[in-house]
Amino acid sequence: MALDIDFIAHNSNLKNFNPNFKVLISFIFILVTLIANSPIVSLIIFAATAILIILIAKTPIKDYLQFISIPLLFSIITCTFMLFFLGSGEIIYNTGIFNITIREDSLNLAYSTFLRIVACFQALGFLTLTTPIMETFNVLSKLKIPKIFLEISMLMYNSIFIFLKQFELMTNSQKTRLGYNGVKNSYRSLGLLVSNLFIKSLNRSEALQNSLDSRCYGGEFPVYEK
Amino acid sequence: MKIIEAKDIVYKYPDGTKALDNINFAVEKGDMVALLGPNGAGKSTLFLHFNGILEPSSGEIDVDGEKLNYKKKSLLRVRQFVGIVFQNPDDQLFAPTVEEDVAFGPLNIGLTQEETKKRVKDSLRKVGMEGFEKKPPHHLSGGQKKRIAIAGILAMDPKVMILDEPTSGLDPKGASKILKLLYELNAEGMTIIISTHDVDLVPIYAKNIHVIKDGKIIKKGSPHEVFDDVSVIRKADLRLPRIAHLSEILDKQDHFKMSDSYPLTIGEARKSFMEFIDK
Repeated sequence: MALDIDFIAHNSNLKNFNPNFKVLISFIFILVTLIANSPIVSLIIFAATAILIILIAKTPIKDYLQFISIPLLFSIITCTFMLFFLGSGEIIYNTGIFNITIREDSLNLAYSTFLRIVACFQALGFLTLTTPIMETFNVLSKLKIPKIFLEISMLMYNSIFIFLKQFELMTNSQKTRLGYNGVKNSYRSLGLLVSNLFIKSLNRSEALQNSLDSRCYGGEFPVYEK
Repeated sequence: MKIIEAKDIVYKYPDGTKALDNINFAVEKGDMVALLGPNGAGKSTLFLHFNGILEPSSGEIDVDGEKLNYKKKSLLRVRQFVGIVFQNPDDQLFAPTVEEDVAFGPLNIGLTQEETKKRVKDSLRKVGMEGFEKKPPHHLSGGQKKRIAIAGILAMDPKVMILDEPTSGLDPKGASKILKLLYELNAEGMTIIISTHDVDLVPIYAKNIHVIKDGKIIKKGSPHEVFDDVSVIRKADLRLPRIAHLSEILDKQDHFKMSDSYPLTIGEARKSFMEFIDK
């Protein structure tokens, strides 16, 4: 089952905290991390957001770990490459294979980049794990982000859940018939899955259009003031 | 007075096959009508004609005594007058919260925020979903989503409500809740058209039944007029209600006949059984 971030946000302890502040805090954290460009600042931001997310917002630790695991994995891969293949400074470790070495400046670059990514991501995570998406949209629209962007994001956001659900249903049905038994079958099944998802998505978009038109949609989403 | 009428409607797909073949279909004001037919018979296609989403290849649609024209302004009026609840609520619910979704229609018509707020509140109360205003629709169960979808249409204050398979995919309790709701709306004066293939439920609520098969209406009338013609029902890949089927077997194999025509609901069966005992 996919991680339902919005569900976590709806049950967060900070759900009723002013969303303007949450957006502000999150952006300040990101800006500070990027401008300071110092591993220590990144670490402090990382610790601060972790405390906010786990202790104050009371996000379940399991959900939190699942949430950061994917970006963590990506940044580890990226930074590993940086570590071995960049830099021109003093060699501090030689692996002995193909002359691949770790240099002093590449080590610095890799770990400071890693900390920056993780800190920024967590600052953003603080926002997404404590603020239901529609409140974030509200704040963004107050900030005069063009309406068209918000409308497209809103529809995309909604479609993601339907898409994931469909994806899950279809992979399960393929697995039931051993569609992923072996590399060759897996390739074939994946191809079928992707093309069918595409057709399904087209059908769904037509159905959505019909239902929007049935409710007098005029090309622009009206704003409901709560 | 006929509130919706389809006259000689033909609808062709781009490849020329006829999805609807000379359909004549009329609904009286205040009626509760069922369109009964197997999958792929053309039920949804016909429905999309009633609010001008689809334009017939030939024939005309009359809504409230007026011929439907496909200009933007009159389409807006018709879509407010005729509300369609789609089969899959996921196609209909798109807003991040329940209240925003229900408010979508009224705001599109151009109602004020105050009026919309009132409508949202009223329609959520009618469908029994008060307290769910701030919830995101994708966190709700199938039956709840269906009721929100109905609320979204109710909020536009239509005079005719069309529901495409309103009970499909719902558990028995969810299905009977939806039907009870529709019954109440009908009692308040709303004209209701339902498509379905649930033959057990149809005789309970519908005053009038149309049977559609391969894009043609092959039978229309009261529940008894339609279900007494067993051969047509079977030709349309449908069946008798269970209780009528039991009476048919009792009649044909055991020569036990309670009443002239087979009872369609448990209530009817009980009545004729009691009368039979008294005789």
